[in-house]
Amino acid sequence: MNLLTISGVSLTYHSKTNETLALDNLSFDVKDGEFVSIVGPSGCGKTTILSLASGLIKPTSGEIFVADTKVTRPSSKIGYMFQRDNLFEWLTIQKNVLLGLEILHKKNKQTEAYAYELIKKYGLNSFEKHYPAELSGGMRQRVALIRTLASRPEILLLDEPCSALDYQTRLVVQEDIWSIIRQEKKTALLVTHDISEAISMSDKIIVLTSRPGRVKTIIDLNFDKSLSPFERRKQPEFSKYFDMVWRELI
Amino acid sequence: MKQNFSAEHKKYLNKLKTQTALTHIARILLLALIVGLWELMASSGLVDPFITSSPSRIISKLTEMFSSGSIWQHISVTLYETLLAFLISTILGSLVAILLFMCLPLKRILEPYLVVLNSLPKIALGPLIIIWMGVGTSAIVTMGVLICIVITTISMLNGFLEIENEKIMLLKSMGANKFQILFKLILPASLPNFISVLKINVGMAWVGVIMGEYLSSKAGLGYLLVYGGQVFQLDLVMTTIVLLCVLAGLMYMIIALLEMYVNKKRK
Ligand SMILES: Nc1ncnc2c1ncn2[C@@H]1O[C@H](COP(=O)(O)OP(=O)(O)OP(=O)(O)O)[C@@H](O)[C@H]1O
Ligand SMILES: [Mg+2]
Repeated sequence: MNLLTISGVSLTYHSKTNETLALDNLSFDVKDGEFVSIVGPSGCGKTTILSLASGLIKPTSGEIFVADTKVTRPSSKIGYMFQRDNLFEWLTIQKNVLLGLEILHKKNKQTEAYAYELIKKYGLNSFEKHYPAELSGGMRQRVALIRTLASRPEILLLDEPCSALDYQTRLVVQEDIWSIIRQEKKTALLVTHDISEAISMSDKIIVLTSRPGRVKTIIDLNFDKSLSPFERRKQPEFSKYFDMVWRELI
Repeated sequence: MKQNFSAEHKKYLNKLKTQTALTHIARILLLALIVGLWELMASSGLVDPFITSSPSRIISKLTEMFSSGSIWQHISVTLYETLLAFLISTILGSLVAILLFMCLPLKRILEPYLVVLNSLPKIALGPLIIIWMGVGTSAIVTMGVLICIVITTISMLNGFLEIENEKIMLLKSMGANKFQILFKLILPASLPNFISVLKINVGMAWVGVIMGEYLSSKAGLGYLLVYGGQVFQLDLVMTTIVLLCVLAGLMYMIIALLEMYVNKKRK
């Protein structure tokens, strides 16, 4: 079943001095339970795709569906995790995690219990009462992910969640995000610059052309389902896939 | 917080302590020097205490005013006006900033007027204020409010506009409406900015109120200044200035304490 369908979507940005065609007749879909990555040259419209899918902006033409409902505005079916963690420095970790539920007026015993379960399960309970400034970059990113998950979205949109981290932390956070999303059985659409990140985390990679973004090719990855990102990096196919993506990008 | 620091670190901490202590001592010495020189020059006849007053004359004036109790009326009048001007301008100015932020077309329309109002010397409005508000407290408070309110609105609004757009987008992607964005993000994120506005206003409110009292008043510290000048009682003028320094300093300290409290709560 298709959870996210992008069908013939184009988007033009207008500014005083310019108009920019960011996406041109873009189509692809993401199936239920799939982990899909989008890679493409910088400025090709990757963030724009996520903004569209989340309902923050409307396409110039074309249509977007999430679980067969047309996307016209943000909905709780979609969880959007931005490039930066955007934690609110004046709220404790616990309150940051509950932010989405509060906005949706869905804070009740059940939903809070689920949020606490996530907090506990993913090792944040000792930080619950702490403020974001006391956490490391990797931990903050984990909080941002838990915050997104707490409102139980059906699909997660992740915009370069590791790009602001140093190399070692990045590997840890990739492992983190992958395993959390897998355990929670979520569908994910990840945007990244990092070819090895895409290969190590996803089931399928969509390579975009340079601006205006169009689907150049789709590469299915056939790793053993149980392999974590770190283990995938050690597989012989890894470099083969790296080559394939690399060739498409240049 | 007991920690075992290395000898080197202790040395560094000691150096810091000495530095702070020296700064304090130098400050006090500077004040003592000025006061001492002033007194010396006045008593030796180098300057005419009739024109310059002198520390000892100020002290005897102070004791006189406090023992007769006549000063309390002036202090309370000015303090009341200043607090009122401070509160009204801070609250009203912030509310206008919120309104302009929530309704950006309005902000675009009003922007040039705000700029002009901000650079207008408010004292120029003195005659109008007196004619419209009558002489007395309301005119004086109005002057204080006028001085503070425009800059309050401008600084608060600029603070709102500097809040990262991505945070606003995050709330929107969660389905937040305008008011949720205001109360969950914009206002809490603006607290530090609000406190620095308070700090500015606390000084500006004094300026406005004293100016207002110059225009028209029957009591208050500004009134004492004008009166003392007119009857050539420089002792009274100097004493009032000293009182003003103390009061304004105290009010600033209260805001500084508030800031410390807020920072501590937020870490
Ligand atoms: N609000 C906007 N107004 C005008 N142009 C925009 C706007 N947002 C993005 N663009 C332009 O649209 C194009 C696509 O932007 P987008 O941010 O989606 O690219 P991206 O692939 O995410 O880039 P990056 O790799 O740098 O993250 C870019 O050329 C960008 O300059
Ligand atoms: Mg981007």
